[in-house]
Amino acid sequence: MLMLAIISWTTASLEAADKVDYVTQIKPIFTHHCSMCHGAVKQKGGIRVDAGVLIHKGTDDGAIIAPGKADESLLLRAVIGAEGVEKMPKDGKPLSAEQIALLKRWINEGAAYPKEEIIPLDPAKHWAFNVPMKSELPKVKDEAWSKNPIDAFIAAQHEKQGLTPLEEAEPNVWLRRVYLDLIGLPPTEAETAAFVKECGEGQGPGAKGQGSNPQSTIRNPQSAYDRVVEKLLASPRYGERWGRHWMDIWRYSDWYGYQKELRNSQKHIWRWRDWIIESLNADKPYDRMIVEMLAADEAAPTDQDALRATGFLTRNYYKFNRHVWLDSTVEHTGKAFLGLTLNCARCHDHMYDPVSQEEYYKFRAIFEPYQVRYDRVPGGGNDAEKNGLSRAYDAELNAKTFLFERGNDKMPREELVITPGVPKVFVTAARDMSIAQVDLPAEAYYPGMQPLIRESALAAAEKEWKSRLAAVEKTEQPGELLQKQADAAEAELNALKARIAADDARFAAPPSADAGNLAKEAARLSRQAKVVAAEAAEVEARQQVAATEQALANDEKKNAKPVDDAKKKLDAAQKELVKARDTLQKTDDQYAALSAIYPATSTGRRHALAQWITSKKNPLTARVVVNHIWLRHFGSPLVSTVFDFGLSGKPPTHPQLLDWLAVELMEHNWSHKHIHRLIVTSRAYRMASNGVPYGAPSRQGGARATGNAEAPPFRDGAPANPQSAIRDPQSIDPDNTWLWRMNSRRMEAEIVRDSVIHLAGRLDTTMAGPELDENAGLTTYRRSIYYRHAMEKQMVFLEMFDGASPTECYRRAETIAPQQALAMVNSSLSVDMARLIARDLAAKVDAKPDDETSNARFVTAAFARILSRAPSEQERAACLAFLLEQTRILPGNASAKDANETKPGQIKPSSVPSLRAMENFVHVLLNHHEFVTIR
Amino acid sequence: MNHQNSRRAFLADIGMGFTGLAAGAMLFRDGVSRSLASTESGVTDAGSLGLPHHLPRAKRVIWLFMSGGTSHMESFDPKPALSKYAGKEIKETPFASALESPLTKENVRIVVPNDANGHIWHKLYPLQVGFKKRGHSGIEVSDWWPHVGSVIDEIAVVRSMWTTDNNHGAQLQFHTGRHRLDGFYPTIGAWTHYGLGAINENLPSFVVLGTPIADCCGGNEGHGGDYLGPEHNGIRLNVDPKNPLPFASPPVASGVTPDEQKSKFDLLNKLNKLGGIEYPDDPALTARIKSYELAYRMQTAVPETMRFSEESDATQELYGLNEKPTQDFGRLCLAARRLVERGVRFVQVFHGSNGGAGAWDSHAKLKDNHSKLCGQVDKPIAGLIKDLKQRGMLDDTLVVWGTEFGRTPGAQNSDGRDHHPYGFSIWLAGGGVKGGIVHGATDELGFHAVENRHYITDLHATVLHQLGLDSRRLNVPGRKRLEIDYGQVIKGILT
Repeated sequence: MLMLAIISWTTASLEAADKVDYVTQIKPIFTHHCSMCHGAVKQKGGIRVDAGVLIHKGTDDGAIIAPGKADESLLLRAVIGAEGVEKMPKDGKPLSAEQIALLKRWINEGAAYPKEEIIPLDPAKHWAFNVPMKSELPKVKDEAWSKNPIDAFIAAQHEKQGLTPLEEAEPNVWLRRVYLDLIGLPPTEAETAAFVKECGEGQGPGAKGQGSNPQSTIRNPQSAYDRVVEKLLASPRYGERWGRHWMDIWRYSDWYGYQKELRNSQKHIWRWRDWIIESLNADKPYDRMIVEMLAADEAAPTDQDALRATGFLTRNYYKFNRHVWLDSTVEHTGKAFLGLTLNCARCHDHMYDPVSQEEYYKFRAIFEPYQVRYDRVPGGGNDAEKNGLSRAYDAELNAKTFLFERGNDKMPREELVITPGVPKVFVTAARDMSIAQVDLPAEAYYPGMQPLIRESALAAAEKEWKSRLAAVEKTEQPGELLQKQADAAEAELNALKARIAADDARFAAPPSADAGNLAKEAARLSRQAKVVAAEAAEVEARQQVAATEQALANDEKKNAKPVDDAKKKLDAAQKELVKARDTLQKTDDQYAALSAIYPATSTGRRHALAQWITSKKNPLTARVVVNHIWLRHFGSPLVSTVFDFGLSGKPPTHPQLLDWLAVELMEHNWSHKHIHRLIVTSRAYRMASNGVPYGAPSRQGGARATGNAEAPPFRDGAPANPQSAIRDPQSIDPDNTWLWRMNSRRMEAEIVRDSVIHLAGRLDTTMAGPELDENAGLTTYRRSIYYRHAMEKQMVFLEMFDGASPTECYRRAETIAPQQALAMVNSSLSVDMARLIARDLAAKVDAKPDDETSNARFVTAAFARILSRAPSEQERAACLAFLLEQTRILPGNASAKDANETKPGQIKPSSVPSLRAMENFVHVLLNHHEFVTIR
Repeated sequence: MNHQNSRRAFLADIGMGFTGLAAGAMLFRDGVSRSLASTESGVTDAGSLGLPHHLPRAKRVIWLFMSGGTSHMESFDPKPALSKYAGKEIKETPFASALESPLTKENVRIVVPNDANGHIWHKLYPLQVGFKKRGHSGIEVSDWWPHVGSVIDEIAVVRSMWTTDNNHGAQLQFHTGRHRLDGFYPTIGAWTHYGLGAINENLPSFVVLGTPIADCCGGNEGHGGDYLGPEHNGIRLNVDPKNPLPFASPPVASGVTPDEQKSKFDLLNKLNKLGGIEYPDDPALTARIKSYELAYRMQTAVPETMRFSEESDATQELYGLNEKPTQDFGRLCLAARRLVERGVRFVQVFHGSNGGAGAWDSHAKLKDNHSKLCGQVDKPIAGLIKDLKQRGMLDDTLVVWGTEFGRTPGAQNSDGRDHHPYGFSIWLAGGGVKGGIVHGATDELGFHAVENRHYITDLHATVLHQLGLDSRRLNVPGRKRLEIDYGQVIKGILT
């Protein structure tokens, strides 16, 4: 706001050149040279010069200017460095002679400034930097309109703006809306019919009471609505729908790179996706989700389910540049959870927010020690990289962070010690971050202690030994080699057992007294096992020499090379054996661990950050998240800059509502479902997106039901009926800022695809598991969330509908492009599904080949299935005409035998023209604007 | 838009409303809805049915935009004083007054003055490249632009542009005329589309080629329609002859016949238009209907347009398609020509997108940066002009070359230049613009635009004027435009 003010002043005329102009000539001097220490953020000596009124006010000790008497003014004396006054500016370049002359003239001319000048606000007082509080619910005149507290805030604005909200959406419209919003799939026609019936309509979806005024009918029993909401929130499909939203915000990306080379993100990061879906379905408190994403390795170090959450961190892995990796971590931790653009302070102090460049690096220092690794998982085999858990951990506890001059990592400020921390401005507003080092349980830093790894190692060693023994036993004269191999396997097993025993002693807390002896014993047995193994190898090599010499004797070509090779191998084996035997002299305690051993402690920095972020005193976290939820229910957020709640962000349209929701979330254990429930059961959420205002005379019977397009309710913004005091809300608030109606939205990419498949009854509701081939998305029918989504590896169909950018997507774009039309018209998916839906519906309405009488039933059924409503008379007429005409032009093909083929991509059109016309018609409805639109 | 007006307009659009259902495909064209609404509000009497306000000089625009800020001094506005006084502080030169100019304060709209970039740098940095007088006109163009230099007689260079954002929000500003802090507004391409509609119904009227400006700097709003509605957004097309358009036709295995497809589109069109009865105020519905009409025709038109193999070897060579550095941008320029040839009204071509501030943003190593980037675009751009000329299309095709701001006369650190909004160059060619002239000037250092100063919207007004539109008559009821939004036509460069 401060900036806007400056801008408009700068356009002020310079024509009155004889008099110094404060705005264009004086203010810039203060802004550039003085306000950093004498402005909104700091007021050294109690002096502020960032507004004319404050310059006149001076300090408690006295004035700093004497209008008309420049020479007596402290301000002027300071900038010229007069005797007895500390010369200003203290830091930086002195003012030029011209600047001083201007200041002098200005003061002498009376030090005028524009009355409308805005006094810059202390950034610490910025609304979003102060803890939200619940205000009292506003009193509204029409209390009957409100269903819950959300409505009171919305209604208060309606009254203030002179807006009358639209009437409630028809039950079928609301039902489709809430289904798509909460589970991302439309209701079936049976669900719609049942709900509409329950709501007292009883005449099928969309059919308004003919000739009656809907407002006068008591309907929509609350319980029916509530039951739907509870059912949807309890559905596993909810986690899949909202999981995708949070994956946008948390930057989910499957791994990608150059061919097989991993460059970005991590393999098996789908486990994090599954954690997201499971957590949402379980309504895991949001504060806990944040803790697990940022620091499960510190907060729940042995809980593999929770460790999946650190995909939030491992996703930032970038092979070529650690700085890029950490910068992404800082940027998106700031944007996702705090609505702060910390990234703007990487090269210089933040331009808008009170975040210094040093504070950027302090924030980075929180993450400096972390690295990524793969841990083995049950059933995942021995190679964690092939099928394991990608997780974060602190690898370098003492990793240093440097401030980079202008963000250039070639220019670290080596002398400046950067300690981990959060920007100071929030330390007062929330609370300080207290970092406590975390001592990890052994299983966490040494996976070799995990039963999973031990047991599989023991099982493998035992198996080896037993199979060697069996080989000895089943051979009549086992010979030297078999015997040695069995001995080696036994020695190896014994050594392993000793290593495990030694581990138990060593990693006990505190280590047990015999740890040293056990370690020595494990080391000794390991050395012995190596000797026996080397002996076995020597025997084998020796036998090989004999075998090749035998072969040479019988070889006509006398090729001696195999013998030479075998002798070389024998020589090597004998050397190994000598080496192994030499080690027997040793008495040390060095034995091989069962896995990598990582640092036994973690810095605790990330856990501290997570606790700071999730503190109820943190002013941003809850506001940011309820704003995201609101956006995805209403199609527009309360704060339009969803990842920037700072000074350059936009203020909320409904600040009290935002704060009320934020506090409500925290008071209800950070439950997302609680907020969803509040929102979707509100009256605001029930509003129609079109039609007439609540209480206004309705269009007779509704245009859709009668096809009557006459009688608009308003003429030039005034009601057509002069008796009515209602003004056309469209003319007052064309952008619907004050929510007098629901916003129509377009389905997101995944919802388009999933819904088409769902309507054909083909949706495979299998949950979880590794990412699926993105190229198979049109011929396989899992939900879209399970397909690979990475840079350059995404489903093209989803890309057409503005699918999320895997690198950053805090809010989806909602374009309307011809490419979307082509995807819906020409993709094998939509063609296939249209045919399947048509077959199903034709059977349901008992459509006989070339029987025109079934067409009307088919049209009604198709509208109910695909658009969740009945057709208007005009629509019905157009559709029936189409079916007749299309039947006429389509080729008959009596020999078609593929009519029942259901293999994706090979579903043939019906050989019966009238049925094929129905398929065409269904395909048209899938392309209908209303299908992809959430009304 | 007022409820009733839009409702009535919609019904008229779809050719039914008061007279019942009629086939409305051809009635539903650009301009109809707007002209109806506009005449009712008495704002404009033309611009309807694609009719311009006055006789146009250009039918189409190719708008080339260099993301990141191209140095004006090392391109089209040579300043020998920089080399002469290299290493000196500005205040030590005879041109010290540049610093105290009121323009310095008037120009810039910064928020906090201690950003690392966007400063005035005082130590002058010498020119990094030589200049030559080129063409009959003898206009000086740098040696990084030899090919564009060779067609300078077709070009009007405007050396006196200024803008107000000293950061890359200026990219958005270059297209909307508004500072980033003001928010989002309709872009020049969208206004063109709004004012004139389509010539060719087989292709989008406003096409975007290359990668648009990044989210930091305006993102998709750099080619958006904003309050004009999504139907006026620029539409991105891939320039990939191998895969010009995903889902361009039904899968062969599906057995869908052309007749079947056609009648499906017809029914869909009818049903969507009937939807307008219930939702007259839904701009998305209007845009969706148009997108389907367009999609139907694009199925064949786009792959055909991107079939570069139809071009002769000589033409491909002209655009640099055979050489690696020029290949990518050459394809975009050739696609732009093929698009305007087929009636696309406005083609916006981006160069230098890098997901951030833009590739031209040379805070360091300016010489390496600009010599490389010029090497990518110089030949294709000159090729485009030559090609348009040889086809007789240059007369009514306006080519605009621009960038969000210039670069500082002073050195940023050792070898870069900073953002410079106070004065920079753009140029125009064809479409009723004089060739071989220079308009306006910066001071001796290239610091301030001092002669014939032009804000961004003057360029917009000029483009619209050549297309036959008066920017002052492009208004939408309920949306206030400021005086500065309309701009002044740069008359001095017009024939």
